[in-house]
Amino acid sequence: MKKKHMARGTGALVLVTGLAISAIGNPAHAALSGQALVNSKCATCHEAKTDQHWTRIGESRRTPEGWDMTVARMTFAHGVKLSSEERGAVVKYLADTYGLAPDETADHRYIIERTPSVVEHPESKPIGDTCARCHSYGRIAVQRRTEDDWRKLVHFHVGQFPAIEIQAGGRDRNWFEIATGDVAKELGKVYGYDTASWKQWQAQKHADASGVWRLVGNRPGVGAYEGKATIARTGDDRYSVAMVMRYENGSEESAKGSAIVYTGHEWRATLKQGGRDIHQVFSLGANGAELNGRWFEANNDAVGGTMRAVRADKGVPASVLSVQPAMVRAGMRTTLAINGVGLNGEVNLGRGVKVIKLVEQSAERIVAEVEVAKDVASSSRDVQVGRASGAGLLKLYKQIDYVKVLPQHPMARVGGNGGSQPKVPAQLEAIAWAAGPDGKPGTADDIRLGAVPAAWSVDNLNKMAAEMQDTKFAGRIEQTGLFVPNGAGPNAERKYKTNNAGELKVTATVKDGSRMVKASAPLIVTVQRFNDPPIR
Amino acid sequence: MLTKNKLTTACLANATAAALLTLYSAGVLAKDYIVTTARPDVLFVVDAKERKVVKTHKIPNTSMGNSPITVVPSRDGKVAYIIHNRWETVSGIDLENGKEVFRAELSEGEDLRGKAVFAMDLSPDGKELAVFVNPTRLLPGEYQVLDPYIAIYRTDAGTDAKPERKLPSPRRVSTLAYSAKGDTLYTFSWEMLKLDPKTGAVKGQHPWRSWKEPNRGEPDTLAIWPQWEQTNIFATPYYKVATDKEAGDPAALRAGIWALDLEKDTVSFKEFEDASVVLFSSAVNPVRRNEVYTVYTQLTRTDMKTGKMDRVDLDHTYYDVNVSSDGSELYIGGTQGDIAVYDSKSLKRIGNIRTPGGGDQVLSSLRIFKR
Repeated sequence: MKKKHMARGTGALVLVTGLAISAIGNPAHAALSGQALVNSKCATCHEAKTDQHWTRIGESRRTPEGWDMTVARMTFAHGVKLSSEERGAVVKYLADTYGLAPDETADHRYIIERTPSVVEHPESKPIGDTCARCHSYGRIAVQRRTEDDWRKLVHFHVGQFPAIEIQAGGRDRNWFEIATGDVAKELGKVYGYDTASWKQWQAQKHADASGVWRLVGNRPGVGAYEGKATIARTGDDRYSVAMVMRYENGSEESAKGSAIVYTGHEWRATLKQGGRDIHQVFSLGANGAELNGRWFEANNDAVGGTMRAVRADKGVPASVLSVQPAMVRAGMRTTLAINGVGLNGEVNLGRGVKVIKLVEQSAERIVAEVEVAKDVASSSRDVQVGRASGAGLLKLYKQIDYVKVLPQHPMARVGGNGGSQPKVPAQLEAIAWAAGPDGKPGTADDIRLGAVPAAWSVDNLNKMAAEMQDTKFAGRIEQTGLFVPNGAGPNAERKYKTNNAGELKVTATVKDGSRMVKASAPLIVTVQRFNDPPIR
Repeated sequence: MLTKNKLTTACLANATAAALLTLYSAGVLAKDYIVTTARPDVLFVVDAKERKVVKTHKIPNTSMGNSPITVVPSRDGKVAYIIHNRWETVSGIDLENGKEVFRAELSEGEDLRGKAVFAMDLSPDGKELAVFVNPTRLLPGEYQVLDPYIAIYRTDAGTDAKPERKLPSPRRVSTLAYSAKGDTLYTFSWEMLKLDPKTGAVKGQHPWRSWKEPNRGEPDTLAIWPQWEQTNIFATPYYKVATDKEAGDPAALRAGIWALDLEKDTVSFKEFEDASVVLFSSAVNPVRRNEVYTVYTQLTRTDMKTGKMDRVDLDHTYYDVNVSSDGSELYIGGTQGDIAVYDSKSLKRIGNIRTPGGGDQVLSSLRIFKR
């Protein structure tokens, strides 16, 4: 986990978050011409060089969120006046014209999906040292600029935030010289404007997302789900969405909303799902045959889930998407549900797994009673239905050899209590593993079995945490693995009247037959993120 | 130690101040006053021994979203100069009536924006104010960072003050401090430079980045708290990596105090512990000049001669520390609208002063003047 310096919280920046979400998810601005708006609202300062190229504007490429943050800054720092509709149209135009190809965001989608507690591994050390001491590395990695434009970005930073040169990580070096010199060159090389990917993506005809979709996913704390979605075109790159999600615990949610596709693949939808407002950040991939990404609660993005959807229209190629439960112990007899599309033909789960009878069978779901032989080795199995196969979807195991807590370095934030920022909880999962063919746990052939129920507990992480009674003050954990931090602000009951931050150790205790398997992770409860832009 | 000459000058200045302005101390003996600022636009004058805020002034025409930062009171206690307005303005506020008697906009015209990042000091004769300015040209569609400079203003320049002259400066300056005689402007960048305040010529330096010690890396400090007016000794806590220790060894990061005597132009330092707590800012005792106090969530006293250290936990976090003229009391502030008073010998809390309005000092300075 990269340690983040606390950013200054200004009213203006806090405002960005709320507006940005509405601008990105708002499909109401179809009628406005983004290009005309750029000419009328931006070209006063950003001189038009050609028909679709203005200074600065034509020298960088970004995600929709990246463009929205820039447009928002132009509004609050440079007085550009845009209605919400106009802002949406400008962002749509810029993201379409100066966006990122799918493979250019593939390694860093966590940052636009707002995945909690990701440990980053900067691909470039100079870029990491220079930029990721305040930002996530991902924020940089989902931008493309000319070297000169990266250099101008450094100038902007020093002009706007001159303390950058005396902060830790700045004052120990000739920061401005390095940042405008070697680092700007490195940025231009690693995240440069001109790429083959972008040229190819621009030349490609982009897919229409409308149709019927079969979906599967996982919601940490609740479990796996499967379902269906109907997507209908309502305008250029605009869709209505209706979804049903059935969780493996038997609960069901329906969702309805609208979506926009930016840059030909950046799917952003806002839905009412099970009574809550949800944002979807997906990428429309595989020539329009798949939607992949994360969804999260609009006002609590630490809570959400992953989703993968494939087309389920008539005549699509058969595919197996998931199996529930995904892990079965050797010697067990159980009911398995196989989810997919175009399912037709014999169910084959490999040697040692006997299909006793089919309980239910349709093109999208097969429910079967199966028996796993006692002597079967811990292994990953392909789930085959006729000619369709889901590689490694079913895990068989002799025992749970060990458990890992995910995320490995979770972080929660105090909030509420009359302050401007809500609490940010941490949703934890206990992931069971089995030793692979070598029989040794902790080696490369180990098998990740999946999320398992656990009894959760918290302890103080270290001596200082014990002295400060962090377990008493920092928050509590629910048995779904959801850690809920306590309220924000100074706490008169604490030593130093400090806030409810703390360093905890969370432990998951998993029952495996008569055995108990435990795993722990450090859980940092920290202060509010006062400046929480769409890309952190 | 104060020289006899200095002492006489100081006494004369106090006597003059007392004769001219009798609001705070009608009698002969000068009293200590604390001057500091708080969010978003408030200036406080505190009678230190009475533990009482005696003046609350508004800083006019400022940005309400930020806090004022550096505060420099004139030695006669008449005016305090403050960096505020998103660091783009320096105002001089008459401490008696709150009137803005000096104002310098650091920006020039529509497209040249200046911001002052903490470093500011007043010449000992009170006639000139030195401000470290980071200028940026706002071009259509882009910012262009220009070379920083030190703006020298005449303090009698009024409320539309323009720099009397601009001295060239390296980047990354966190502190400006005049020598006691006013003939050197110490400019703390990668090195502690000694500039001629008239011309900006570099007369010499005290090593900082180039300060070498066996088995130690480069020193690190964040020196943005001017609190040397009681001693003419600039003191700042520093950290150094012990290069002969394994990472993770508690002894791998060492802490110390680095001090520059602004009268004698001499440097002293004392490494005194394995870094175990956060040390924000330091001040030297004007009477027992070997004693340095440092705050954050602890109040630490370090003997600069022996390295002996005493430490107490505080009731909350504090950023800045200053010392009474008689060396007996410590005033610590910065957060929660609270200035605590500690006994400099026992390190016991002996009082506190609540600043009204609920705004925190944040990165404002906590300065002392006598009247």
